[in-house]
Amino acid sequence: MRLFSLVLFLVFATGVSTARAADELPIFDAHMHYSHDAWSVVPPNEVVEILKKAGIKRAMVSSSNNEGTKMLQDVAPGMIVPELRPYRSRGEISTWAKDPTVIPYLEDLLSKRRYRAIGEFHIYGADADLPNVRRVVELAKQYGLFLHSHSDADAVTRHFQQDPNAKVLWAHSGFERPETVREMLRRYPTLWCDLAFLTAHVSNGKVAPGWRELFIEFPDRFVLGSDTFTPERWHYVIENARWSRQWLSDLPPDVARKIAYENGDRLFGGAP
Amino acid sequence: MIRLLLLVSLLAAGAVGVRAQHLLDWSAEEIRAVGQHGPWPPPPVQDPSNKVSGTPAGIALGEHLFNEPRLSGDGRMSCATCHQAGREWSDGLAKARGAVELDRRTPSLWNIGYLHWFGWDGAGDSLWAQSIRPLLDPREMNGGPTRAGELLRSDAAFACGYERAFGSRPGSDDERLLVDTAKALAAFQATLVSPRTGFDDFRDALLAGDRESASRYPLAAQRGLKLFIGEASCNLCHLGPRFTSGEFGDIGIPFFVRPGEVDPGRHGGLGRLAASPFNLLGKYNDDASGSNARRTRHVQRQHTNFGEFRVPGLRQVGRGGPYMHNGSLATLEDVIRHYSEVSPDRLHSDGIPLVRPLGLTVEQSADLVAFLRSLDAEALARPSPAPLCP
Repeated sequence: MRLFSLVLFLVFATGVSTARAADELPIFDAHMHYSHDAWSVVPPNEVVEILKKAGIKRAMVSSSNNEGTKMLQDVAPGMIVPELRPYRSRGEISTWAKDPTVIPYLEDLLSKRRYRAIGEFHIYGADADLPNVRRVVELAKQYGLFLHSHSDADAVTRHFQQDPNAKVLWAHSGFERPETVREMLRRYPTLWCDLAFLTAHVSNGKVAPGWRELFIEFPDRFVLGSDTFTPERWHYVIENARWSRQWLSDLPPDVARKIAYENGDRLFGGAP
Repeated sequence: MIRLLLLVSLLAAGAVGVRAQHLLDWSAEEIRAVGQHGPWPPPPVQDPSNKVSGTPAGIALGEHLFNEPRLSGDGRMSCATCHQAGREWSDGLAKARGAVELDRRTPSLWNIGYLHWFGWDGAGDSLWAQSIRPLLDPREMNGGPTRAGELLRSDAAFACGYERAFGSRPGSDDERLLVDTAKALAAFQATLVSPRTGFDDFRDALLAGDRESASRYPLAAQRGLKLFIGEASCNLCHLGPRFTSGEFGDIGIPFFVRPGEVDPGRHGGLGRLAASPFNLLGKYNDDASGSNARRTRHVQRQHTNFGEFRVPGLRQVGRGGPYMHNGSLATLEDVIRHYSEVSPDRLHSDGIPLVRPLGLTVEQSADLVAFLRSLDAEALARPSPAPLCP
């Protein structure tokens, strides 16, 4: 009898667990990095395990020096959406825009591999008009890629001045206030925003005023992100996914689904 | 007003070129910035959440409990095992050693009572709540929830000391006695105020316009102080008389503790704070107004908190290495080198970064170390505590 009860419990528990997994909102994570300093401490197979545990069905990944992205594609081609980063080492964040060797490096990789976006790169204000950045905007147009820009509103505006049809994914929504994000989204129909590393849109587990209205007005324009900018951050991915599902549950289900994965799937798709 | 007049006269003296031999030129803005790192010592701690805070009987009971190994599971470890008076209230180890080796360094207890978050991760919102954690943690003292109560009830001296501090004999409520033990421990720890230093003498002399006294402060320390409050902006986080904001930061120190495991720092601490029955929102807060729980009520976890650790105070810093939350830097020179060379890529770009590679010269690094060492002083030897109930 005791054995029967145990079996019954296990069957029930397994059923509940399976149902819960099926009900769990999948996530498209549009802001991940797998740079050189992460490769040995969080090997590719461990990354894939983390993604699975987090319920992330697909992730757009960039890496300094882009080999990390390739390493992940090799072990999980269906999960990894490749993004071309203009950094060969993580130290190039502040130098890439004026480095004459960056563009040939990008052109070489674009001729050999397929990508969905160029980024995440960091550029602010008038620096977005530097020749390197202009060329990156041209390359994105030439190859039909998104620009994943960690920028202020000024730099994003300059991207669109250079190419009015550019497709821009605004990293961290520029860390801007919802009023500014709304203004930018209204002005530029091919601007999308990632919510990586933001907490301002959530207050006590609920979607904050201002942001709620923004998500309702533009349900097709936001995607999630974890931003694994240091190796340690890979161990925050599961917690971040759990937190994201929590605040998404405060939105209408169709809006939550779009932000969680439908927008990412539609914009960036699977592996090219 | 007197201070202002002295300040004006000091500046006027500088303007006409009358300079002491060993005193650098200090602008009004710099003098103001230096002044913010004092006066020292500060007024004694009075914690409204702890009814025995600042009371002689509470402090005396706390000091005896602090040195009492019977609070630990195996009867061999006391608070003083790791927080040693002769080692700046720490242990000199890179990583603390309780029942096992831990992942973080033993923080110094100097000036601990003036904080508002406790522990490297801020999981405690009062010194007494923080003092409960090592008593119970199986990796540290492993005392279990009833050991403190049993000791207070069974030991005549402790029972007497408890009655003097709390006004009644120890009862049968073990959780209450655990909290009261921690409150007495906190009352004692809050008395650990670091001594005045060469910096304090300089700071007071500078503000008073006493150029002769101020000029006794070594030139290297003066140059280091100018860097500290100026170009290097160390005082953005290491501010005030204790040289700490009491808040948390990610300064680019890796926080893997072993393969596949990280120390989440403040992010984990905030989770434990919210879950703790001993936080200031709970029934053990002695402040009926509840006003001291405002921080606890409103603090929210943020992504930035992952891998953040408390900004330590800098008084006695030169005597207290190794450094950083995990003891990963052996010397003050290593610490300065870290700030000089820290990779900005380890720090998230969000507005103006508080931490950036300073690119210091050898001379500048030596000057900063000289300044930091001027925050050290020999503390008076502490007499053995008097008997609780002679």
